[in-house]
Amino acid sequence: MAPPVRFLLALAAAFPAALANAAIPAHDMVVSVLAGPAFVVGTKSAFESGLFRRGPDGSFHHFGLDFPGTFGISVDPRDSRVFYVASLNGCLITRDGGLTWRIGTSWDMTEPQDVRVDPNSPDTVYIALPDGVAQSKDRGVTWTRRERGLPERGKYTQAIEIDRNRAGRVLAGCETGIYLTENAGRSWRRVLPTSETVTDIEQSPHDPRRWMAATQADGLVQSRDGGLTWRPVAGVPSAKCLYNVAFDPTNPRRIAVGSWTYGVLTTEDGGATWADRNAGLPAGHCVYRVGVDPDSGRLYAGVHQVSLYQSGDFGRTWTPDGLPQSRIYRFNFVPAAR
Amino acid sequence: MKATALFLFLAVGLSAATIVEPPAPVRASVAAPAARPAPLPAFSAPVPPRTIVQDADTRRAAYLARVGEVLAWKAKLADIRFPVTFDASAVCAKLARREDPAVCSRRVIELMKNPGTGPFWMFPAVGMAYLGRDQLSPEAKAAIRAAWGSVMQVRGDTENHWAMYYTSLYLMAQLYPNEPGSSWYTGKSSEENLAEARDYLVHWMDITTTIGQGEFNPTGYITEYAIPMLFLSTWARDPAMRIRGRMTLDWLFADLAANTLNGELRGSNARTVDASVVEHWRDHASFYSWLLFGNIPPNPSFGGFGVYFASAAANYELPEVIYRIAVDRDGDYVQRDLKRTRRRWRHSDVLAAPIYKTSYMRRNYAVGSYQGGVADPIQTHTWDVTWAVPDPRGVTNTMFSMHPVSSPYDLQTYFAESPDSMIPAMVAERKPTYDLPDKFLGSSRFERVFQDRDTVIALYDIPPGTRFPHINGFFSKFLSGVTQDKSGWIFARGGNAYLAYRPLAAYEWRPTPKGDRRLYSPHLKNGTIVQAADAGEFADLAAFGRAIAALRLAYSLEPVPTVSMRTLRGRDVVFTYGRTPVVDGVPVDYSKWKLYEGPYLNAEKGSRRLTITHGSLRRVLDFNTLTISDSVTSGR
Repeated sequence: MAPPVRFLLALAAAFPAALANAAIPAHDMVVSVLAGPAFVVGTKSAFESGLFRRGPDGSFHHFGLDFPGTFGISVDPRDSRVFYVASLNGCLITRDGGLTWRIGTSWDMTEPQDVRVDPNSPDTVYIALPDGVAQSKDRGVTWTRRERGLPERGKYTQAIEIDRNRAGRVLAGCETGIYLTENAGRSWRRVLPTSETVTDIEQSPHDPRRWMAATQADGLVQSRDGGLTWRPVAGVPSAKCLYNVAFDPTNPRRIAVGSWTYGVLTTEDGGATWADRNAGLPAGHCVYRVGVDPDSGRLYAGVHQVSLYQSGDFGRTWTPDGLPQSRIYRFNFVPAAR
Repeated sequence: MKATALFLFLAVGLSAATIVEPPAPVRASVAAPAARPAPLPAFSAPVPPRTIVQDADTRRAAYLARVGEVLAWKAKLADIRFPVTFDASAVCAKLARREDPAVCSRRVIELMKNPGTGPFWMFPAVGMAYLGRDQLSPEAKAAIRAAWGSVMQVRGDTENHWAMYYTSLYLMAQLYPNEPGSSWYTGKSSEENLAEARDYLVHWMDITTTIGQGEFNPTGYITEYAIPMLFLSTWARDPAMRIRGRMTLDWLFADLAANTLNGELRGSNARTVDASVVEHWRDHASFYSWLLFGNIPPNPSFGGFGVYFASAAANYELPEVIYRIAVDRDGDYVQRDLKRTRRRWRHSDVLAAPIYKTSYMRRNYAVGSYQGGVADPIQTHTWDVTWAVPDPRGVTNTMFSMHPVSSPYDLQTYFAESPDSMIPAMVAERKPTYDLPDKFLGSSRFERVFQDRDTVIALYDIPPGTRFPHINGFFSKFLSGVTQDKSGWIFARGGNAYLAYRPLAAYEWRPTPKGDRRLYSPHLKNGTIVQAADAGEFADLAAFGRAIAALRLAYSLEPVPTVSMRTLRGRDVVFTYGRTPVVDGVPVDYSKWKLYEGPYLNAEKGSRRLTITHGSLRRVLDFNTLTISDSVTSGR
């Protein structure tokens, strides 16, 4: 995307001092959004939903499909024009940055909640389905269920994450726990039982052996051995649903958790202590998603159907930051399209 | 309250089908000669006579006349000066009548400038495309085609959504073969779309004809199956798909016929709505009963969507055997059916649990139920007694009890959703009563039901902490002689039926907004027994009451509700919450429940084969061989 570069260069020429403060970010923020009030099949929404990319001026620009049911997003690390989107209709795929799309899956795979491109083998893609896990080895052209070792029932899968350092290792967050495959989905085993759905799994960008998972009823859990064993994280409440966890790629000691009930919880000492960071957010919290900008360390919170909020001090203060009346399903920071 | 966003993948129902009439014309200053008043539309006209039409040609002519009335009514409302009146259904009505093709073409082009999303936009577009094949301008046809490439259609997540979505995709892919993926919103070629749609439709028909329909006996959503199946049976070029559509229509309408009392579809229903759960007439099923059987007024504005069905209805001929099942109420009958729950993503050992449905039909009343539990998370109606009335419009001719449920756990069982946003979204959107304690709509995990002919026992064991810790009993303002007897029974008369209602825990009366009454019983361990009888069986209501009070009845609520009683029909029933009911000492064996079992509809589980019988008439729908076989047995 040339215009932002030109803009920054012009800015730098005009205001040389600005250059130091406005280094060209390496990533673009892309979010999947349901805009406006609840969508009912059969109605025509006045709001554009789907994928939004943040421009250099901070505003959000819709691109690709106007579609109300987009959830997880994953981008091919070799080509940032290739997006895989978990959606109500299945896995949507674009190979040209959103100009054209194909529903990659068929009728037998519906409502995936999450999607991940394998960074070790980018032709391979996984989707988290309400009834299990499927894998494509050909960039989403064909799909095969990979469920050996998952329970016949209890394999509702909300989240999927791939070990970026060890090929073939994938963790799936299901209704009945966290499941691990070490052979690219040929077989799974449960590494943590849970009483309700695992809502998110993340691998630390600083320590590939450290993983964290948010759950609906079992609090925040973490693993220090690559996902083999898990322990609860003290200091984070567990009575109500935690929707996701986000590491700060710029600071290994900072981690944030998003929750409808508890709002934003953060740690700045690597997880030893946690603080409630809701001052400045709307009352009632209703945080559906948090994310951390890998370039700036800025913390974002999607407050359900109110707005996106951002914090430059990791939650101590918040300001509204666009996307009014939206529900933000995912924050993605993709290699900048320059 | 903060608004919430949630995908409520629920059919739009009536709101999307609202018929808007054009503004009244300005009255001329010169008095016009007195005009002959136009006949009232059927939904406002007197109740049609319930005489059985014996002659096939007369029946067919009457059916086509009703079809014609719907189309004429809609076409007359359409006024191009007021685009809101000239919607897709008006275009379909006019095209079906082969009138105003140029105006229709203009309107289609307008409509296609802003295509909708999802199955409720797709099937009307298909109707316009096919009805307009030889009438619409090339530009109008091109506009329809282009819309199928420009807007990603939402597939939805319910059985009715997918029936509409995939039938529509199938027919459009068929209409435009050999076109590349780049020209379709799916990104798939015509052939890929056709194959995917066909595969799903065959799969859906397969499970429906082996383990039962999920959205069984829907009062409103019936139209969202009937229209696509009619379109499929009318326009599919593949003979196999065409006959599949036709057979599925017969299957749906046979089910409707067997479950209607003078055209009213009563409980149980996988899905219904707040209005029709108490006023059964007020939903799309009444349109189909009117159109097909001619024995009830249609719902207002023909349900809106009825216009789409009417636009191709000349291509369907109701088998006589189904007609006679619908209109013959001379003999009492029990029909037992197997259905299935909505797909359960979580919290269940099975993807779709079996529904064991019982229906007892008599001339003056009907009793229907399934075994309790949740068939669908929001709109299920588990059981009721419904009595016949001369004119069902505005009449709440039913009695039942239920546990009102508002539960994220239940919603998460069936929806791929998070726990916190769902209930506010339900309230904010199209299910406003979901979180109200005084509602009458919905089913509960904490209700168990057993029915033996016209006896229903409903038991409740509601855990402490449940959001609404009470049960609601519906008592219509149309009941007469309501008496709270010292025996503990409540006696009443509804039409020509006597009704006895026995609350098993203390209760109080609460008013409802429309003048009916709610029996409110705030006890976690609870129960209801209802016994019905024909008024002709007793000298009067008091005699009925004495007979009921004399029945052996023992019950307890701890540790779980249990009832042991002799029914009015002399059966000894023992029913304990969570245990298999026992009748005359024999446990009910649900494992032997057939897909259909009764005098009219019969099918083995897993058979893909339904036998429809009435008198000497028999039709067999065999999805194994894709054959429809009609036969008439001799009178010997």
